[in-house]
Amino acid sequence: MGDKLIEVKDAVFGYGGRPVVQVEHLELFRGQCLGIFGPNGSGKTTLVRGITGLLSPMAGQVSHETVASSGDMRIGYLPQHRNLELHWPMTALDAASLAISARRIFGWIGSRSKDVLAMMDRLQISQFANRPFAALSGGQQQRVLLSGALAGDPTVLVLDEPTEGLDVRSTQELLDLLRQFIAEGLATMIISHEADDLVQVSREIAWLHPASDVGHASRVEIVTPQTLGEAILSAARRAV
Amino acid sequence: MKNQLLWIALFTVGVAFLFGSFAICAAQTTQPADSVDQSTQEMLKELQAVPQTRSAESPSLSSAPSAPDALSSQRPAIDWQHLIFRDFPLMLITGAAVGVAGALLGLFVLLRREALVALAIPQVVAIGAAIGMRLGWENEVPPALGVALIALVYFALAKRSNTGNWIVPSFYVAGLCLSFLIVASRGGEDVEKLQRLFMGIDVAIAPQTAAIAVPVLLVVGLICALLWRRWLLLAQAPAAAELAGLRPTRWDALFLLLLTIVILLGTNALGVVMVLAMLFLPAATILPWTRRLPAAMLGGVILSLIFLAVGFYLSNTMNWPLSQSIGGAGCGALAISQVCAQFKGE
Repeated sequence: MGDKLIEVKDAVFGYGGRPVVQVEHLELFRGQCLGIFGPNGSGKTTLVRGITGLLSPMAGQVSHETVASSGDMRIGYLPQHRNLELHWPMTALDAASLAISARRIFGWIGSRSKDVLAMMDRLQISQFANRPFAALSGGQQQRVLLSGALAGDPTVLVLDEPTEGLDVRSTQELLDLLRQFIAEGLATMIISHEADDLVQVSREIAWLHPASDVGHASRVEIVTPQTLGEAILSAARRAV
Repeated sequence: MKNQLLWIALFTVGVAFLFGSFAICAAQTTQPADSVDQSTQEMLKELQAVPQTRSAESPSLSSAPSAPDALSSQRPAIDWQHLIFRDFPLMLITGAAVGVAGALLGLFVLLRREALVALAIPQVVAIGAAIGMRLGWENEVPPALGVALIALVYFALAKRSNTGNWIVPSFYVAGLCLSFLIVASRGGEDVEKLQRLFMGIDVAIAPQTAAIAVPVLLVVGLICALLWRRWLLLAQAPAAAELAGLRPTRWDALFLLLLTIVILLGTNALGVVMVLAMLFLPAATILPWTRRLPAAMLGGVILSLIFLAVGFYLSNTMNWPLSQSIGGAGCGALAISQVCAQFKGE
């Protein structure tokens, strides 16, 4: 197991004094993939915002370890390709450069476009660089965005429903790519409601159980891919 | 690539045809007006007898054609050099600055789906101007700026709470009504001044107005253009921006501030119609033909300058109001662009 990057202890996350998610204990290590699994409205996005530091905990603590190599932790984000606004005129290279531009003054990427092109080349999509992003298929769009997120050299990569809307082949190709980068030491958090996808790449899965009463927070249970299926079945039986 | 060039060529031919048609119409209007019926000619003679107060108030406009002139049978040839370099240089320079800034900001206004805000801001600015008139201030810019900034803060809060969709149109209507109500009791002069602000027919620009507006507009346009990757990021992946330490709400506020500055200065100098024409028409015309934002920005700026030139030409040859001529030229080009884009495909 690699270096510990993030640790969450007895934390509660929410908005405006209303708790949404509570976590007893959660850790993320270098080279680990943490799946975030739960039904719609269970608080997956809130949990990720809390883990990454975008949302301060209402209680408990979240600690980000200092990264030995660079000193700061870079958190990359892979948006859902279906959420992008395709009426903006942009090429695949422009879309892939989004992540790098986020960390540059005024968004100017300058010579860093070479890094983006190199990553596109590695993901075998460099031939699309100058094509309109909107003209690409869903799978190609997701690979373009992944290449951009990876070109930013993130310490932790957050993927928001990465396989949503993709066909079986594109999904498998994307998961294969992710496995490669995780094996090279990339820490990832994948938000998904597709248990099958998470089981393929995650070592641990944070399963969000929605609260039965309004006003109470969802509870996070850490399960392994091996026990997720059994846990879902037993939860379904309890519900019936 | 070949296909795209073909469609760009078709679009260019279409625009040329449109402007050519305008030019032919203009040439015909300067011919002896035999076709005008007797009653119309009598009415025009009566109009001609009315003293031309406008030229007396604005010496710089003395050579601008008046309505009866257009139909007179012996119209002198237009001295373009005189018009451009002696009569209207300030208007043209300010119009070009409004065009450049408007085309750049307008591109992002359309892409960010904030056209309603852009329509509402001039009405809000008019409320501020009306307050200034009511209080008897010579310069209406400070109250207009004050009201615009208050509205800006409210727009930002409304956007944050997702209530902008029904708040912004209300501002538009409120501006239209309140601005006139505020000056209604002061008589016709202020109402006329307010109408000119909306319609933009009066294009006489004071040197001090141009001296402030032109550099500020160009700087605002430049800032907006330089930040194109930032606007793209905030539209496509606001979460990625937040994770990188950016505050999307602050950037949104900056964009609205830039937009307000362009609308405020543009409206004060040339009227609402000109500003809105430059905000929407170049961007909407060029968008179907570009793959990247830098190309769209460049194309929009070029189109805005073409619209200004064509509008100026039409205004002087056909005796049409300038802002509306620019808007008309832009609308024609937009219509051709949209029709060609329907057949373009990929």
